[in-house]
Amino acid sequence: MRIRRPSVVVLSGLLAATLGAVTAPSTALGQPASATTAAEPNQVTNLTVTQADGYATLAWTPVEGATDYQIERTPVDANDEPIGPSVVVGIWRPNRQINNDSPTFADAGFNPGDRFRWRVRARFGTEEQPYSAPVTGTTLQPWGDPDVPGENLRTQWETTKAAQYTSDTNEYAYTAEIDRLSDRVRVVEIGRTVLGRPINMFVFGYPTPPTTPEAVAATSPVAINCNVHGNEPGDREACLIMARQLAFSNDPRIIDILSHTTVLIVPTINGDGRAANTRGNSTGQDLNRDYSLIRQPETAAFVRMVRDYRPIASYDGHEYGNTRAGDLPMLPPRHQNVAQSIFDQSQDMIEGFMYARGAEDGWWPCPYGCEGGGNVGLGEETILRNTLGLKNVVNSLLELRSSGGQTRPDEGNTANNRRRKTYSALWTFHRLLDYHRAKAAEIKRARAEAIGFQASNSGRIVFRGSHPIPARPAPHPAEAVPPLDEPRPDMILDDAPCAYKLTPEQYLGARTDGPGGVGATLAERIAAHGWKVVKAADGYYVPLAQPERGLIPLLLDAQGAEEWVGGQRVYPTLTGRHNGPLTVTGFTCIADGTVNGPVTVQPGATLVAYRTTFNGPVTATGAAGVVLGDVTLHGPLQVANSAGPVSLVGNTVSGPVNLVGNGGADAPLVAGNTINGPLSCTGNAAKPTAIEVPNSVKGPRSGQCAAL
Amino acid sequence: MSEPHRAAAVPTGRPRRPHRPTPVGPHRPRVRRPLRLTLLAATVALAAVAAGCSGGDPDAPDTPDPAAAATATGGVSGPLCASLPTGTDPGNPESLAGEPVDVAVRWIPVLTTFDAAVRATGLAAELRGAQGVTVLAPTDDAFARKFSASNLDELLIHDRDTLRQLLRAHLVDGSYSLAELVAAGSVTTMDGTRLTVAPAESTARIGDVAQAVCADYRVAGGRIHLIDAVLGNLPTTAGRDDDPAH
Repeated sequence: MRIRRPSVVVLSGLLAATLGAVTAPSTALGQPASATTAAEPNQVTNLTVTQADGYATLAWTPVEGATDYQIERTPVDANDEPIGPSVVVGIWRPNRQINNDSPTFADAGFNPGDRFRWRVRARFGTEEQPYSAPVTGTTLQPWGDPDVPGENLRTQWETTKAAQYTSDTNEYAYTAEIDRLSDRVRVVEIGRTVLGRPINMFVFGYPTPPTTPEAVAATSPVAINCNVHGNEPGDREACLIMARQLAFSNDPRIIDILSHTTVLIVPTINGDGRAANTRGNSTGQDLNRDYSLIRQPETAAFVRMVRDYRPIASYDGHEYGNTRAGDLPMLPPRHQNVAQSIFDQSQDMIEGFMYARGAEDGWWPCPYGCEGGGNVGLGEETILRNTLGLKNVVNSLLELRSSGGQTRPDEGNTANNRRRKTYSALWTFHRLLDYHRAKAAEIKRARAEAIGFQASNSGRIVFRGSHPIPARPAPHPAEAVPPLDEPRPDMILDDAPCAYKLTPEQYLGARTDGPGGVGATLAERIAAHGWKVVKAADGYYVPLAQPERGLIPLLLDAQGAEEWVGGQRVYPTLTGRHNGPLTVTGFTCIADGTVNGPVTVQPGATLVAYRTTFNGPVTATGAAGVVLGDVTLHGPLQVANSAGPVSLVGNTVSGPVNLVGNGGADAPLVAGNTINGPLSCTGNAAKPTAIEVPNSVKGPRSGQCAAL
Repeated sequence: MSEPHRAAAVPTGRPRRPHRPTPVGPHRPRVRRPLRLTLLAATVALAAVAAGCSGGDPDAPDTPDPAAAATATGGVSGPLCASLPTGTDPGNPESLAGEPVDVAVRWIPVLTTFDAAVRATGLAAELRGAQGVTVLAPTDDAFARKFSASNLDELLIHDRDTLRQLLRAHLVDGSYSLAELVAAGSVTTMDGTRLTVAPAESTARIGDVAQAVCADYRVAGGRIHLIDAVLGNLPTTAGRDDDPAH
């Protein structure tokens, strides 16, 4: 990344006079561009132009009484002689930014590297005021020194000056070259499309990226999904340019970001759709209606990636046909099962950060939906924005307004439009990295809180319906918001079950809802989501007291809007007080309970407990599964030789915790617990993990849990 | 130059037949006007005037429009040409002169949908095999005004026979300049539909529904005229409520 440099060009008196004579007779001759006093009434002053990658930020001192401003651009040669017509390329209006006293406008769409002269004038209604003194500058060339290997790579989109989008083969060749020439990147094939195209992911770190998914996850990475709809390719081009910058830039900002986290970029999740220029994949399935269902190999690949790499913040790139929207409509995960902390943090990223940075750089983020947006931006969990929220990832949808819209009157559906879209996406994705860098601790706290909340299985379940997006008084980017989208009564389940029980047929049976009538089994899909499943004598239990509690019922309850199956709701077997020893056989679920006495889980039995207090030891030997969420345990906890899952999230244990010889294929989950005693883990088939939600352990940690 | 008919050529090389709708009609447009060459000159002159007008802002300097100049050298004309690759930019009209139709459409930035349709239907080979073809290519905006995104996906993925027939409604056997089409006054597309072609604004109106917005890309074995509406008889589905959002 090149450092943004202010390029206010103060024209010499002679040059200004020459230009003034040609272009703007009303401009005072010899008046420097940085003049602080207007030569004429209502003339814009203090115009500055700052060049950045693919755009130029204009800023000026506001004129009292102005209702909007027009931004004019004129191509000029090296001698600043005009070589083309002057065109009004931008309209600044008050709802573009949160602070109207410091107007800015990101001019974009030009060919990077060309030279221009800009002027700005105020309007009072339709009454045009005098133009500012002109400012001339050369825009930045496409990023990367043409003489430095790696930096000199260019995409097909760049070399054709946006006449063509980057093809699949060009993407693969470009990706391979970046991979070959940069130590900072590892390219991972996360899956294949229906037609067999590789789905690549860039993994960036400095000086080198972590070598395993688990090691990447430990850095709380940030992820960008660039192109789910094949006919919306603008974000993908930004991602490919960004990949080159991250791989080769020596900008301290980039080095700093890559030294603190890992950046994951999936340029083309829908390679078949991109190649065919279709919205859906090759079967016609809209992949952004499939991220919960994962019937398609593309979405399944992405969801497995999220399971393994565990990004904490993300953007999902799109283009949007609403001509009245801002430059960059954004929207957080809204499904009402998304934890409040994830919703709030995502809103902070959008409204707290993107709106502020947009106002500095001249871009116009706004809520998705926007003016005239219609019934969009809702709570479908099939949409990645919501799926990720239900996976406790702070994230946003990003739209690139397809047309020039109300404030970019010069744009047709041609190269200037494509460049504006792509460079505005590039701006957004860089700001995502900045937000992650600035707020990683907050994001991690929000995520930890969300995981703890979900594992406590608290509150009602909503199958469809959204958190409200608050509107702001106009003028403000959030003056128009998407619909309230309250859940309908039939989409609410007040009494959440403890678990869903699936029959072997439901769990292991062949599915016909995938491409060509063949789909992965629910066992495979549930594994892709990373949920704990207890295999019991009478079926397969999926407990809700785990981190993706908000998503599980949407897929396993017959009341769901788009569910896989109607699993059997299993309600708690014990609530309230129980005095005396408790021997657990079969499937036992304790909710809002108090058990005064020792608990013994028999071999082959399952204990699920949440929001429950145990006064006495809990001992499980050879259990089918042990799942505890938001449990207070006064006494030791011993879980040994379990055949199935072990999940301990958000519990408080006064006593030692000992996990020994558990044999489940999934790593025991030990996250967000407070343990007033030692934590010891030995001989478990898979090393226990905290999924980056730290435990507070007073005593020593040893064995496989030494680092938890 | 493999193009069989150059700028001022008139369709006299083959026997003329009366227009009659046929399933796939390799028909020559009937020449109805004796003053076709005069008309051609007038059309070109109009186009040049239109392209040279930068329009709009009265404060704008009266400088020549380089795009318009490039348009003239590239041989294309119409209001959209200046927004498309010009001069020596990749995809400029002269650079496409030796390219077959299916390659050329990939370089014209507003034809991404048309290009996708050609590829989806496998029409590329047919286009290359033709002795000469005129393509009335709807722009991306034209497709977006005609079809909802889901309808377009349906055509591109599942209903390619319908899409192929739709494309034939945009193809004419024989390579004709827009001026020749105007001179003939009508043209029959490969789906057998006869369309009127009348001078309008600086270019021409086709079938009373479409305006040529950048005409006369000369390519190997044909001509491409960009038009602002989809021809054929499929229903309009754009803007329906079922149009998906993000």
